[in-house]
Amino acid sequence: MVVKGKLKMALVAEKEVDFKKLNLKKKEKAARKKKAQKGGDKLESNGKVEEVWEDVEEAAEDSGSDGDEEATESAPMQIDFEGIDESDSDSSAGENDQENDLEDDEDDEDIPVSDLEDLDDEEKEDMIPHQRLTINNTVALTAALKRIALPTSKVPFSEHQSITTSAPVVIEDVSDDLNRELAFYAQSLSAAQEGRKLLKAEGVKFTRPTDYFAEMVKADEHMAKIKAKLIDEAASKKASSDARKQRDLKKFGKQVQVAKLQERDKERKTTMEKIKVLKRKRQGADTETTNEADIFDVALEDETAKPSRKDRIGPNKRQKKDEKFGFGGKKRFKKSGDAMSSGDLTGFSSKKMKGGAKPRPGKARRAAKK
Amino acid sequence: MSAYKALSKSNGDKQEAPANGIKKNKQRVLILSSRGITYSRKDAKLDTKSKLYQLNELAELYNCNNVFFFEARKGKDLYLWMSKAPNGPTVKMHMQNLHTMEELHFTGNCLKGSRPLLSFDASFDKEPHLRVLKELFMHIFGVPKGARKAKPFVDHVMGFTLADGKIWIRNYQISETEPSKISTSTDSTDAKPKVKKNADGKETEISLVEIGPRFVLTPIVIQEGSFGGPIIYENKEFVSPNQVRSEIRLKKAGRYNQRAEQGVERLAKKGELGLRTNGGRKAKVDELDTGTLFA
Repeated sequence: MVVKGKLKMALVAEKEVDFKKLNLKKKEKAARKKKAQKGGDKLESNGKVEEVWEDVEEAAEDSGSDGDEEATESAPMQIDFEGIDESDSDSSAGENDQENDLEDDEDDEDIPVSDLEDLDDEEKEDMIPHQRLTINNTVALTAALKRIALPTSKVPFSEHQSITTSAPVVIEDVSDDLNRELAFYAQSLSAAQEGRKLLKAEGVKFTRPTDYFAEMVKADEHMAKIKAKLIDEAASKKASSDARKQRDLKKFGKQVQVAKLQERDKERKTTMEKIKVLKRKRQGADTETTNEADIFDVALEDETAKPSRKDRIGPNKRQKKDEKFGFGGKKRFKKSGDAMSSGDLTGFSSKKMKGGAKPRPGKARRAAKK
Repeated sequence: MSAYKALSKSNGDKQEAPANGIKKNKQRVLILSSRGITYSRKDAKLDTKSKLYQLNELAELYNCNNVFFFEARKGKDLYLWMSKAPNGPTVKMHMQNLHTMEELHFTGNCLKGSRPLLSFDASFDKEPHLRVLKELFMHIFGVPKGARKAKPFVDHVMGFTLADGKIWIRNYQISETEPSKISTSTDSTDAKPKVKKNADGKETEISLVEIGPRFVLTPIVIQEGSFGGPIIYENKEFVSPNQVRSEIRLKKAGRYNQRAEQGVERLAKKGELGLRTNGGRKAKVDELDTGTLFA
């Protein structure tokens, strides 16, 4: 065995009392099991238990060597050695050998699991093969606790600064992030409040003065990074909300535009119709049929519709175009100069020729004039 | 109690015992990690994973009575060992959902080395193994009064909560809104601020800002000694991450097996019907087949 120094001696010394108890317990259990069933080779295991303390050191390791096995035997809970042969294909090779060994051993100790063994193969397949069973050696745990425990009730609060909640924190669903964190927060908050009270009662400084500067857990660069990130987040949020607003506005603006156009169209149509009616009336074709109300109505509409300007659009345009581009007749040489055109001096001005006309001012000056 | 006394004496922190005879809480923690952990000092790593008892010697070398050891496995699983050197107990836990301060971008901050308030869920007092855990947390995460680099103010609180069989750990900054100058000045100057505090009456509002990191621990095993000794607690609900992974793999393999089996069955069926060119049963020669009719 390795290093059998003072540590082990100390350990043994520490353990002595418990160990006797445990041994007794172990024997009891073994006896019970013997009765229950299984081969006679159990007795052997009882004999082996005596050398338990030889291999304490190795117990922490997971090498899977002989020492390892022995170490697991050394566990104070009853373990029988059949379990080791009975290894049900261990997938996590090399990983938690020690624990797996243990759990294998435990398997036949537990009645429900052994009962399950007579299940048919199909159901067994669905079972998780590595059902771990809790070792919970209360006696040893309390002893260990007693060994290390700080006398929290005797020393002033400022020595340990630990606060336990009055009621257990209940978290219904651990995957519910918000409520879980809220419970954690509430727990710590109540502790902070209580702690402050207790510390101040003991006259211990609590609040950090604002002018106290010292090295912080997070360095300034780190905090700057966090700040930058926060700013970034806020900026991106703002940008996205702005973009959305713009998008909405655009959509809405288009609708407004379309509505306006439609309205204008409609207006034009109605006015045109009215003009037509009016024209017919002027021609006197159906003046007889119109009654007074109609006359009044039309006159009113006329006032609003400004027909004089619209009136010109129709036939006048065609006429002008015809004049300009010609309608009917020969178009050839129409634009060429002849005696008449060359004799025409309407476009000539001696004043202009002499440079009397002011040159057009520059762009800036024109803009300034406006 | 005697063990506690002995530990206090062997502690490296040079502290004078107070005059009134109350024992000091003296803790020194050796923090180490195995290879494969990047978030730590690069030089200080324990090479071995099988001989963890060496940590005891290291702890003795550095006058530490606590060991806090991170063990990384396969570059993806992180285990945390907490031990009271040299006599134990030792707790092995599986660490999950670890988010470092770097990742989390929390706005909280606190003094480096200020003593934390430790807040425990009352559930820790229910079972002996949880009480052991609580005690260890208290020793390892608590900063003893008068520790060498400790700052004189309390500005953060660590929360240990039990939920779903796991221990959830959070770290918050205590921020006091509208910190009244009067209270702080009386704090720092007055020798006996008790009376004044009560007379003062008004307290600032406390709110918390998370600092990070966050992590969840699943206790696996408690050993009686320090990195050795019999196992006095083992958690049956803990499923090793290897097992989880292997089960996933097995599930996938199961799907393949099923498909392969189906293929074989189909072949056999076709063979039965005489639809395969080689192997299987030959189809009976029908007299009405074109081949036989016009032979």
